[in-house]
Amino acid sequence: MLKVSVVSPEATLYEGEATSVVAPAFDGEVGILPSHAPMITVLGRGTLRVDGAAPARFAVSGGFVQVVDDVVRVVTEHATKA
Amino acid sequence: MAKGRELVGRIKTTENMRKITRTMEMVATSKMKRASDRVAAARPYATALGDVISSLFNADLAERFPLLRQPATEQRAAVLLITANRGLCGGFNANLIKEARHTLAALADKDVQVDLHVVGRKGIGFFRYTGHDLTSARTDISDRPTAEDAASLVDGLMAQFTSGAIDSLYVIHSKFNSVLSTPPHTDRVLPVAAPTRAGAGRDYLLYPSADAILTELLPSYVRNAVYRALVETAAAEQAARRTAMKSATDNAGEMLNLLRRTYNRARQANITQEIAEIVGGAAALQG
Repeated sequence: MLKVSVVSPEATLYEGEATSVVAPAFDGEVGILPSHAPMITVLGRGTLRVDGAAPARFAVSGGFVQVVDDVVRVVTEHATKA
Repeated sequence: MAKGRELVGRIKTTENMRKITRTMEMVATSKMKRASDRVAAARPYATALGDVISSLFNADLAERFPLLRQPATEQRAAVLLITANRGLCGGFNANLIKEARHTLAALADKDVQVDLHVVGRKGIGFFRYTGHDLTSARTDISDRPTAEDAASLVDGLMAQFTSGAIDSLYVIHSKFNSVLSTPPHTDRVLPVAAPTRAGAGRDYLLYPSADAILTELLPSYVRNAVYRALVETAAAEQAARRTAMKSATDNAGEMLNLLRRTYNRARQANITQEIAEIVGGAAALQG
């Protein structure tokens, strides 16, 4: 399982466990599954999908994703729940 | 009983005043609650950003990023003072203005030219009154500041810093340590002092590259510093107002007690005197 959090400057929009995350990286979508290597990537504009017990979609623009030890942090200045 | 009538009037006025200050206290309490929630909600973003920047940061990179540039000499500084739009919050605005004057004096001692940017009617009013030149004055930031507000304040200043027009940026705001502790504070936001944390040395896969990530994140980091200053000041303002209105309510209560006691004493004295007069009058008739 992945521990996922989606944070914007104003609030934490999502916090929970997920089986996979698909994030809109600067050059295309990047899929993240458990046991992913530590990674930091810049985000572009697009839809962030979190799948698992509590699936969610967010429209994000800019920011980054940090993956380390099955903890996924999506940090972005502009995110709205879709 | 002229004095009694006067006292009744004062008692009524004080009661009304207490009603108003008590209402303001309650309004400030609920606003403060929401504002301090926003301060807490802003923390994870700041932590995440700080973590990543500190894990990417190294001394070589510092040379290449304009926002990390340490100017050899400080010739021109921008000072951003954040105050409230409204008063009736005790010494809150006065404390911020005092801190600003200290900072300005310290910069003037070092022969640094200063651009003063002020947010909030109270700060603007003071510096206009003292004849100080304001480079910009903003009153459109509500007591629920947004990340866009912060961006609109600081983006221009970042561009000026990058181009070398200013050598540093100081932000004067209130820290929201707790409800009772909201001290004014001067933060040096530019050049960015990269956060350094121990144990940050994980090997990350970096896409597209450390440089590109920092280019994206450093401006966010600066904007976030200003955003946090705005939300903390907004929360601190409500905390200060709550404290001020609470003591005003308490003082009104004390004054009411005193007035009521004085009034009752005057009333009793009056009655006693009237009885004495009647008794005296009756005795005179009988005699």
